[in-house]
Amino acid sequence: MNKDQCSITFNGTTSIIENSSTFISISEVEEFIETKTLNIEVDESKTTQRVNLILDNCTDEPINFEINLKINENAKLEFLDESIYSNDSNIKLNTTLHKNSYFELYKLNIYKNKNINLFYHNCSLLENSSFKDYSFSNGSKENLNKTIINLNDINSKYLGSGVSINNSTNSNNEVQIRHNTKSASSDCYFKTVAKGSSKVNFDGIIFVDNHCSKTVSNQVSKGLLIGSESKINLVPKLEIYNDDVECSHGAASGQPDKNTLFYLTSRGISKEDAEQIYVEGFLSEFFATIDNDLMTEKAKKFINLNT
Amino acid sequence: MLEINNLNVSVDDNKILNNLSLSIKTGEVHAIMGPNGSGKSTIAHTLAGNPNYQVESGSISFNGKDLLDMEPTERSLDGLFLAFQYPIEIPGVTNASYLRQIMNSHRKHQGKDPIEAGAFLKLLKEKSAYLKIPFEMHSRFVNTGFSGGEKKKNEVLQMDLLDPKLIIMDETDSGLDVDALKVTADAVNQMKSQNRSLIIVTHYLRLLEYIKPDFVHIFQNGQIIESGDSSLATRIDKEGYE
Repeated sequence: MNKDQCSITFNGTTSIIENSSTFISISEVEEFIETKTLNIEVDESKTTQRVNLILDNCTDEPINFEINLKINENAKLEFLDESIYSNDSNIKLNTTLHKNSYFELYKLNIYKNKNINLFYHNCSLLENSSFKDYSFSNGSKENLNKTIINLNDINSKYLGSGVSINNSTNSNNEVQIRHNTKSASSDCYFKTVAKGSSKVNFDGIIFVDNHCSKTVSNQVSKGLLIGSESKINLVPKLEIYNDDVECSHGAASGQPDKNTLFYLTSRGISKEDAEQIYVEGFLSEFFATIDNDLMTEKAKKFINLNT
Repeated sequence: MLEINNLNVSVDDNKILNNLSLSIKTGEVHAIMGPNGSGKSTIAHTLAGNPNYQVESGSISFNGKDLLDMEPTERSLDGLFLAFQYPIEIPGVTNASYLRQIMNSHRKHQGKDPIEAGAFLKLLKEKSAYLKIPFEMHSRFVNTGFSGGEKKKNEVLQMDLLDPKLIIMDETDSGLDVDALKVTADAVNQMKSQNRSLIIVTHYLRLLEYIKPDFVHIFQNGQIIESGDSSLATRIDKEGYE
């Protein structure tokens, strides 16, 4: 591995990624690959602590990786993953948020359309903890993003926003939010653009257990189809076993509005640029949910480069 | 500047324009009036190249070029501007960013460098102040959440920034209060010149009291049934179309 391109920075210290210990199998890939495991524990401090993960063409081999994050009581963590995955990958993230802790995860990942890229995140939230989860990716030959959120204690909050931009790539996305306690809240937004022959699936699962009164949960998924061969399948699945809840969901997909494209071209903008503006506008709507200027800029840049 | 000959246009297989012919010289101001469904907006959108309007037959020449052979983008870059009756909302795209992009498309076509951010901001402030547009409007998404008056003023602002040769105003006066109508009309009057032509599509006399047309045409069933000077608009306002 090249240290300059493959690094993790924690509390200002940059180190090469190592500590291999176990192997994870990827059923779709014939070989087993060396697995890296990182255990990160974050304690309370005056400022938000930051982890930056950058994997950029750093190895010729598939990447298996597991990160265990423990965010202790009152701790605050911002995790930024700006990796470019040039090979197959299988990344597991296990996170526990303890009482009053706060976690922001920004994933801005670029994949290659010849590869299989899997990402699993299993996150448990305890009392009064809060998790903001932002994910931007561009799909691959087989791309799976699976997030399981367990809201285990009162006043725990989850805000998830995912953007998947596909250009003749595939992307399977599953967000499973499990309300295992009363008075917890979740918001989940997913937007995707499917160009060329892309295929995108989104399963948005909200589970509310029978003792979980005062639950608030909203889910919105939207897809934009560019090109006649692309397919988007948005599936909201709600399992709610308590009547004292506020839950909503909405899913919609379609092609760019022809009247909008005409309006733009009637102003001298080319068809291609009009489509680009339309896509950027479609994806930009949820920037309002990011209250971090630097991350907003990074997200805008990501969208601009990948649409 | 513009020659329309025996134009027939359909929308969803319904014939709207019937052998329409109209000639507009450079520097002239033409008003098109007529009852609902007479084809006023159809001619406006056909000129701009809206793909929802199918030209069955006829020809349109714009400064010697076959307009029907040109894409909407090319028509705009060649100096044709349609101010929409119902400006389109574009969520997620700020008005300032949009205005700069449309300006730069035209500048690129003219072989000019993109306008610098500072120069654009200064220009936008000047034009917005003149049109009494609140500057914060440009931080909002294009036409999204704009009042009716703001949308129409935004159309006039785009018109001003793009400096077109032929302006088509499709019921720009609808949705404007008296003060906004005057501000808008003043801005359009400032743009009148010997090198620019205007087509004003309207139901009412009130806009034409501010922007005096050289010719008024009455549309009915997709045809011009009467043409005259500005006194024709006054007569229609008093007597109606019947």
